[in-house]
Amino acid sequence: MKSVSQFGIVGALVLAIALVPCSSSAKPIGFAHGTTVMAEYGAGTMEELQVFYAPRFNYFIGGGHLALDSDVDARSRDITYVRRNYLVKRWNREGSQANVFVWGGFGSANVNTDAGSHFTWNAGIQLDYETRRLYGSLKSDLQKSSEFSHRIDTLQLGLAPYEHDYDTVATWFVVQGRRYTGEIFDGTEWILLLRLFKGGKWIEVGSTSDGRLRAMFMINF
Amino acid sequence: MLKSGIAALALFMLSSNAMAETIELTVNGLVCAFCAQGIEKTLRKNPAVTDVVVSLEDKLVAIATKPGLDIPDQDLRKALTDSGYDVKTIARTQTTLGGIRARLKKPRS
Repeated sequence: MKSVSQFGIVGALVLAIALVPCSSSAKPIGFAHGTTVMAEYGAGTMEELQVFYAPRFNYFIGGGHLALDSDVDARSRDITYVRRNYLVKRWNREGSQANVFVWGGFGSANVNTDAGSHFTWNAGIQLDYETRRLYGSLKSDLQKSSEFSHRIDTLQLGLAPYEHDYDTVATWFVVQGRRYTGEIFDGTEWILLLRLFKGGKWIEVGSTSDGRLRAMFMINF
Repeated sequence: MLKSGIAALALFMLSSNAMAETIELTVNGLVCAFCAQGIEKTLRKNPAVTDVVVSLEDKLVAIATKPGLDIPDQDLRKALTDSGYDVKTIARTQTTLGGIRARLKKPRS
């Protein structure tokens, strides 16, 4: 496990700054001059709140707070960050769209086993593909500080029972597999989600295989 | 006689184009309503636009403009590109957005 002290604060800063100018929100979905607010409750293991503004359709800037509670060693991590997200590439086809997003940022972290705040940096990537009936995405999100290093990898596969249109409610059934490194959670967390969206509102609710709640809300305006 | 006929036809075509009040664009990548909101929001900021219809089924964005006003193709392409989409075709028609909405609601075979 490489900590910031091994990597070097300067190295982390250089990486964060290198990523920052070119980043969009992997997860926030938006449009030029739009604002996105997202909140996620991740089955008792993670909670995250993010607010992003998009000066361009392919470029978001914002910040958030991520709280992680380890299922392995009872450590908790609270990370407050600023981040830039960048849509690297989009393929628009007649009946499909595919995207590559990257993001990076830095912030301050607190852990419950240590007093004080620690510099933390973050980098991630997301690949996704969707039609009006099928959806797939793969996301990897890395966080590093002198006190911890972890990565959250998320796979989502979705199926829509019908093709929604611009003025109708979209319904998706999504299977999500998520793995945490850094002694947060052992194994793969499988979740079945119901995703609904219409207009600028998006909601997902689901459950893990052992009955824990996972929910996400997103609004664009 | 022939020259005056051609001139009249050209004048009719020009005036027909200039007076077009509906613009229909077919757009690639139009698969998610949540993601496509930016198209409508961007187009509605244009002072020439009075209404916008988006159809994922038809990959269509239809725009009603104020009488006598038009939006150049390059501005339309830029608006869509800035929203994250690619324009495939642009056509100016005399069909109203009400007519387009009715057409979109008809059951498909």
